[in-house]
Amino acid sequence: MDNPIWGNGIFRKKKKDDDIFALLKDIPIFSDLIPKEIAEIEKIMHRRVYKKNEPIIRMGDPGLGMYIIVKGSVEIIEEKKKGENRILAKLKDGSFFGDLALLDESPRSASAIATEDCDIIGFFRPDFLDLLYRKPKLGIKVLFALAKTIGERLRRTDEMLMNTKEKKVAKHHG
Amino acid sequence: MDKYTYQLYSQILRIFWRFFLIVLVIAFIVILFPFVKDVLIMFIIAWLLSVLLSPVVDFLESKGFKRGWAILIVMILILALVGFSFSLIIPGIIRTVEALTSKLQSNVITEFSMKIEAFFEKNFNNAELARNVTARLNEIGVNLLNSLGEFFKNVGAFLASMIIVPVITFFLIKDSRRFKGVIISKVPNKYFELSLNILHKVESQVGKYIQGQAIDAVIVGLLSTLGLFLINLRFDNPVPYFVFIGMLAGIANMIPYVGPVVGAIPALATAILNNPSNLGLVLLWIVIMFALVQAIDNAFVSPLVVSKSVNMHPLVVIVVVIIGGNIAGAIGMLFAVPLTGIVKVTSSQVIWGLKNYSLHSSPLFKENALTKTKGRETA
Repeated sequence: MDNPIWGNGIFRKKKKDDDIFALLKDIPIFSDLIPKEIAEIEKIMHRRVYKKNEPIIRMGDPGLGMYIIVKGSVEIIEEKKKGENRILAKLKDGSFFGDLALLDESPRSASAIATEDCDIIGFFRPDFLDLLYRKPKLGIKVLFALAKTIGERLRRTDEMLMNTKEKKVAKHHG
Repeated sequence: MDKYTYQLYSQILRIFWRFFLIVLVIAFIVILFPFVKDVLIMFIIAWLLSVLLSPVVDFLESKGFKRGWAILIVMILILALVGFSFSLIIPGIIRTVEALTSKLQSNVITEFSMKIEAFFEKNFNNAELARNVTARLNEIGVNLLNSLGEFFKNVGAFLASMIIVPVITFFLIKDSRRFKGVIISKVPNKYFELSLNILHKVESQVGKYIQGQAIDAVIVGLLSTLGLFLINLRFDNPVPYFVFIGMLAGIANMIPYVGPVVGAIPALATAILNNPSNLGLVLLWIVIMFALVQAIDNAFVSPLVVSKSVNMHPLVVIVVVIIGGNIAGAIGMLFAVPLTGIVKVTSSQVIWGLKNYSLHSSPLFKENALTKTKGRETA
């Protein structure tokens, strides 16, 4: 992040991070944005570095926003009280998680832990809401893409549920 | 030294160092405070202004203006408005102060002193007591004039802050997100989401509170001005500069419980100084008018515009207003309640965060714990 004092005005360099730009372009909720809009989104993102085995989010914590893995790998884990935790997913560079938390503060449904040193960017609900107010056209574009992503995921879940149900019925009759 | 004694010893040492560090920080703040007080007050004013103006700037930005231009437009408009109001009000105030000063310096005090001396001589046959009383009165008069002189000496500093405060405000609005980003980037990962969430919640609640207070002050100011205008119409202008006095009442209204009373004093004092023929009736109407404005404010305006998240006990308000007054005079009194409100909101949000975020270490995240985790791979 730029220094807010020396990075101001004429001293600020126009630095374009092409890697991040390409990475964001691959994320479904930002894929429809033009370069200028992606630059605007980049301004309100937070870049973090996590060490191996360091938790990124914890199951049960209030949801705040989504994370995109720039470099490294992350495991999504369901924590169980009895200690038998279940790995739900292993995510690599360019993957994202926690996007539902952009909509509300519901508790996180799983934990995320860095399985190697990670470079991650976070995009959070308060900044997103602020963007929706300040730049409604851009905000609505992101919101619409987010709705589309969640809709597709819901459709896939429905299909999987139907398949499981059909398999169960077939097993029961056969 | 056995293991337990060593642990106890190191724990006591840790507590001692923490305590020492806290004392050192407090001492540092206390020693530095007198030197940085003025800058700190300017920063607080600029920050409050940035909170007030941000929604307008955001609105202009949403209409397609660049943020920098939006801030400039809003600030130029505000400065023009303030400048215009001052150009209308200040000459009047100066005239009043001059008139008052000359009255105090010349006839009034002399006549008054003679009257008192005569009164004491006649009734108590004690000229010395009379002289003592008049000497004391003269002293009070001189002190009053001196403090007026001090006020005008401070005008220079005031004008300097009139330039510096807008500059700070400009950068606080323009780069607030970057400042927040820099602060939050220094927070350890464990507290990152918690801090970010608390920061946003505090910012939102404090913003709503300050904006609500400002809207409330403007409405109370306008209602008081209208009331004083009507009283002036009815009673042959007993309260000149009613716009200024009305707006002052609006600003004073920002201090709960104390403000409404303080707000009425300038109007009553001006009426007494003007000494109209039906003074008693005028004073009664001024009191009724301010009571009515308060009733309207409490019943309709305040519940609608002022956030309830910063409700405070009257005793707390009185204590913090006194402390604020001791630290930074009238400005301190005005800002004591909002600043205490900020502390209250922040602490309640921190408590909320500590309750809702799992900050304790879990066996899941300990080294090698992953080997115990079984599951399916869904890469």
